[in-house]
Amino acid sequence: MRLHKVVTIAKRDYITTVRTKAFVFGLVVAPVLFGGGSIAMSFLKGKPDLKDRHVAVIDHTGVVANALVSAVREKNDRELFDKKTHQQIAPRYVFEVVAPAANAEGHRAQLLALSDRVRSKELVAFLEIGKDALRPPKPSDDSDDLDLGTSKKTDPDTGVSYYTNAGGIDEIRIWLNGPIGDGARLARLAQLGIDINHNKGLVSSPRVDGMSLVERDEKTGEVHEAHKRSELEGFFVPFALAMILAMIVMVGSAPMLQSVTQDKSQRIVETLLGAASPFELMTGKVLGSVGVSVTSSVLYVIAGTVAVNALGVAGLLPLTIIPWFYVYLLTDVIMLCAFAAALGACCSTPQDAQNLAIVLLMPCIIPMFTLVTVLRQPNGVLATVMSLIPPFTPILMLLRQAMPNGVPAWQPWVGLFDVLVFAAGTVWAASRIFRVAILMQGKPPRLAEAVRWAMKG
Amino acid sequence: MDAVKITHVTRTFGNVTAVDDLSLTVPQGSIYGFIGPNGSGKTTTMRMIVNIFYPDRGEIRLFGEGRPETSTDLIGYLPEERGLYQKMTVQALLEFYGELRSGRSVKAEVATWLDRLGLANRASDKVETLSKGMSQKVQFIATVIPEPKLLILDEPFSGLDPVSAEAIRSAILELRRHGVTVILSTHDMHVAESMCDYILMIFRGGKVLDGTLSSIQDQYGEDTIRVTANGGLAAVQHLPGVEQIRDLGQVQELRLTRGADPQEVLRALVAQARVTSFSLMKPSLHDIFMRIAGPAAEEANHAIA
Repeated sequence: MRLHKVVTIAKRDYITTVRTKAFVFGLVVAPVLFGGGSIAMSFLKGKPDLKDRHVAVIDHTGVVANALVSAVREKNDRELFDKKTHQQIAPRYVFEVVAPAANAEGHRAQLLALSDRVRSKELVAFLEIGKDALRPPKPSDDSDDLDLGTSKKTDPDTGVSYYTNAGGIDEIRIWLNGPIGDGARLARLAQLGIDINHNKGLVSSPRVDGMSLVERDEKTGEVHEAHKRSELEGFFVPFALAMILAMIVMVGSAPMLQSVTQDKSQRIVETLLGAASPFELMTGKVLGSVGVSVTSSVLYVIAGTVAVNALGVAGLLPLTIIPWFYVYLLTDVIMLCAFAAALGACCSTPQDAQNLAIVLLMPCIIPMFTLVTVLRQPNGVLATVMSLIPPFTPILMLLRQAMPNGVPAWQPWVGLFDVLVFAAGTVWAASRIFRVAILMQGKPPRLAEAVRWAMKG
Repeated sequence: MDAVKITHVTRTFGNVTAVDDLSLTVPQGSIYGFIGPNGSGKTTTMRMIVNIFYPDRGEIRLFGEGRPETSTDLIGYLPEERGLYQKMTVQALLEFYGELRSGRSVKAEVATWLDRLGLANRASDKVETLSKGMSQKVQFIATVIPEPKLLILDEPFSGLDPVSAEAIRSAILELRRHGVTVILSTHDMHVAESMCDYILMIFRGGKVLDGTLSSIQDQYGEDTIRVTANGGLAAVQHLPGVEQIRDLGQVQELRLTRGADPQEVLRALVAQARVTSFSLMKPSLHDIFMRIAGPAAEEANHAIA
């Protein structure tokens, strides 16, 4: 292989790509979305919406609502004003107790009327506490499973239903678990004749803090204490890293498919093949795409750093993951760009390339479907197996490595070995398909034909 | 030393044999013309010389060497289907192609060639703004920078106006004077006759003619009469010993049957029309081409089959 030819082709493709409006627009938009969005979040965090939030309560027990009203009053007193500046920093919650309807028909009408008040934004939500909510739950009622939209229905008599049309994270619903639980416990104790109203703290639940493990420094022998771990540490950083990697890889490799198809359909490729071998041409194009990806990744990493600093979670980013991030980025881009070059060589028109684009993005899309499972059980069988399958290794292994408990030390190295072997194989097979297909016109080949070209050249 | 030596080369695509057992020697410093109907195997042969396709069988040697990868550095290749990066400027495009082939800066050569082909004032324009003729000139310059030892031109004159064609023709001839070996394919028999030292005709993947123009014509002998007579085409009908008439408008070309006497033809012609010119000659390349690949030859081949 003649290096100067590879470099000349890579240089032209790189300069052409980074000068396009689409690339510049992508470079500006992505950091604005990541960095600017985070800065905006940070800014808005200090300027919350201070409008009063009204919540209606239908209490069939007749006792929990009072405890709730009392608790929300205490919450308002505690959180409404900044203790130093005395300025309001949080919205006031106003709970309105509504008497339950007398019969089923009236109940339906009441729910509809309250729903209309939510829709008209008079209320942010309303909740209904079932008449048997104070009854101690049966063991079978208890479930801590994450509700992912399963159809399991709560018994309206024993449970508490929260009605709202608000999307996203609803802080008040999360907060309600505490005072409703406390109120229920107080009421149950009162039914048993135990009055602890003078010290309500007796029924409050202790807070469960997530902690890291205590570690011993292998060099100094010093024992490092565990530190408190936030939800962000376990979820946000790994998720964000995996998403950034997937995005850069997709942005870096997708134009390759168009570029090769364009060179082919505009009859440029034969002139190039007169001066460079198919392998040199493909390698130069892959190298150009790697350069484009590295350029955008540097900017994304800078934007990401700004974002985590703005969010005040800079300490959550494990710096040891950055070299792995770049190793996975380079191998993934090489792998997908070689694949894109082979696919592009098989296409005769831009329409063919559009039809095959989804095939190219599969190694990035399939890991996305497993993200929830991997985040919940990062060392489970599915997560381990999927992250050792080479096309999925970069995204899934990085995700698992960035999680607080990490992965067994051997896995990233085995994964990397698999990826390197697979990437080399992809480049080799792609170059053979590229050489055969690049001057062909007409319908794209069938899979069996492409495999035959890869095997026989 | 021979610039190109092709020995028993065969190349197939699926069930189609594009080039069948072809052997050819191209002397260094010569101009070799490839002729043949569309799909006969000219382009495939050129692509094999350039190393874009590999032969299934046989061997191709360049300047006495086997086929090291670096052999393409010696070749300037102008493909039949031409394409240029439309968004690049003429200067940047030519520098890119020159650097790709040579690995060094070719700024000086680019300036010289742009000036020579009358494109110096378009150097900073984008390729997409050029006319077709200008684009073809740019493509030609991209092929000859830096100066190759072997120039392979697939239909170099197709689509060019006479002025542009003349500019390219004179550039090719000058390169040959510098010692560059040229292989070109053409459908213009006049180009092949006037420019080429040697002519190869490929038909259905196989070699059917190979040699100098005169050696090829000698194979057919002086069996052609060119006539101008009052009455034109009507005057040369039903002459004895004539098997085919080609009407060129003001002139008619008559092909004699084997063993026919030209004097008999002249006598018969004078008897029925006033003759202003009558010349006995070897067949033109066009005529030879048509004898091998024309409709009559096709019919004869079908009849034999």
